[in-house]
Amino acid sequence: MSYAIETYNLTKIYKSEGKTVVAVDHLNLNVEKGLVFGLLGPNGAGKTTLIMMLTGLTLPTSGSGKVLGYDIVKESLQIRKKVGLLPDPFGFYDHLTAEQNLEYIAALNDVPKAERKKRVEDVLTAVGLYEVKDRKVRGFSRGMKQRLGIAQALIKDPELLIFDEPTAGLDPEGARAFREQVGRLSKEGKTIMLSTHLLFEVGPLCNYIAVINRGKLIVQGRVRELIEKMMVEEGYRIRVKATGDVQTLIANIAQLNEVSEVKREGDTILIKASRDVRSDVNKIALSLGLEISTLQVEEPTLEDLFMKYYRRDEVAEHA
Amino acid sequence: MPSMFTVALKEFSDVVKGRRFIVLVIVFGLLLTVAIASVYLTVMQSINIPGIAMPRGFLGRAAYTLVTMMSYFAPIIGLALGFDAMSGEKEKGTLKIVLAQPVYRDTVINGKFLAALLATSLAILVASIANIGGAAFVLGVTPTGEEVARLVLFIAFSILFAMTYYSIAVLLSTISKRTTQSMIIGVVLWAIFTFVIPIIASLVAFTARPIRIGQNIQNMTREEMQRLMEEMRSRIAITEAINSFTPNYHFSRIAQYILNIYTGIAIGSRTSAEVRSISIMEGLTSAWPNILVLVLITAIAFIASYMIFMRQEIR
Repeated sequence: MSYAIETYNLTKIYKSEGKTVVAVDHLNLNVEKGLVFGLLGPNGAGKTTLIMMLTGLTLPTSGSGKVLGYDIVKESLQIRKKVGLLPDPFGFYDHLTAEQNLEYIAALNDVPKAERKKRVEDVLTAVGLYEVKDRKVRGFSRGMKQRLGIAQALIKDPELLIFDEPTAGLDPEGARAFREQVGRLSKEGKTIMLSTHLLFEVGPLCNYIAVINRGKLIVQGRVRELIEKMMVEEGYRIRVKATGDVQTLIANIAQLNEVSEVKREGDTILIKASRDVRSDVNKIALSLGLEISTLQVEEPTLEDLFMKYYRRDEVAEHA
Repeated sequence: MPSMFTVALKEFSDVVKGRRFIVLVIVFGLLLTVAIASVYLTVMQSINIPGIAMPRGFLGRAAYTLVTMMSYFAPIIGLALGFDAMSGEKEKGTLKIVLAQPVYRDTVINGKFLAALLATSLAILVASIANIGGAAFVLGVTPTGEEVARLVLFIAFSILFAMTYYSIAVLLSTISKRTTQSMIIGVVLWAIFTFVIPIIASLVAFTARPIRIGQNIQNMTREEMQRLMEEMRSRIAITEAINSFTPNYHFSRIAQYILNIYTGIAIGSRTSAEVRSISIMEGLTSAWPNILVLVLITAIAFIASYMIFMRQEIR
């Protein structure tokens, strides 16, 4: 298996003003290449510290890890050659133009001088800042700076992109532009890691997630598999809309062994079952001569997933 | 892998195009003009006073002004370039962006040091040449070949002196959480080295070795005169011992030796005629311990900054 990110008991302990803070606690993570990976957790969960360790900006206290096959301690320079990082918070040289800032970043990445200008123009075009390339960053809005941040991460044509809280402080339009950008990059085959506590902003983009709290990994896996698992554990919620003798339909559905609850809400029937009973409901409706206009499983959202595991961890912590 | 020259080039460009640098050089230039004018006026007035001997040569007339001005300008430019070298980057968040690229941390700090060395050299060179040129024009005395050699050495040691303060400022900037904090500490430290310690040194020397002159100096016997000289030497020794804790003292000593400025008792038991005649090599030999101290302070402050920065957590 080819992993983009793998960690083994990765731990970071900070000592500050006589206090010991375990920022990341024996974290074991395996993220395959080509995924859009969401690192989810509340503020202070250890997300940024993990990113700092993965990119070699902070040394782990114990444990180990690899990014794109390179050791995070011994080969961090190789990692930073192939990983585009948008840290949080970050800044640019205000007195320089967007183009000058990126030319400096390109030079630090050893982009040959002859190619530098074109590469800079390409990434500025990709993030929609080409028209303002000669403007000093001092006059940029938060959204423009964020796009410039993405541009600097792209300049090295990275295999893996890591965005730390990428939509924090962005207006809805900026957040949407960011999502579109990530969608495009994902289609290009890049592995993308999004660290955030704003689930609704970037959640729909992720096909793999890891939830961390107090530095510990609570759960990780493909979003599809986690949703399936959650539905099995907590039951399927099926929404039905039918015309005709709805009461008889409800009574028949309630007879199914897997169904634990059936109720009517307005013109909709809500079913809770231990498995997907849509085909059974369809058969019953056909036998009763009813016409079904809606028959769908209500899937848990990423927020539901997060809250389930986060709450479970909080309860366990306080028990 | 990008070399420190990539960082140095960008930093140098930022510094020399920056308002701070330009303002400093202009202000220093104006101060020099005023200083040269005052030297010119003094010379013009002294020419007409019978019995007053004019200082000889270019250095005899202009060196004191040059040393005085440089002893203020070099630390200020060093502090001005260094106080936000690291903390400014941390505050603005640019350090994270730079370190997210394939660069070692030492590339960043070495690049900054190299850029500061180049910028400081440029500032001091421009200021010194302007001062020397201005003084030569106004005073009507051109430096001799030997004086030029002495001035070149003086400029080199002025750069070293500025870099001593730059290294101290970078150290403060590395350990400080905020730029304002490193700037305030830097200015306070400069004031302590420039004003407070010399005052304390004089007070201590005055208290420990009070000089009592009971009669007019002209009526003193040879023995009384010798005793007075001993007391004065003893007092100066105390003052110098205390002042030697400041980089400023070492710079002024180097300048005195290199520029061949008459320093009387401070230089030892030589007569003023002997003092004036010390060669460049003799001056360098005498200044060697002071040069070493400045190099050591610069190196220690830089190595400390380097080690702290290399281990610092980036959050």
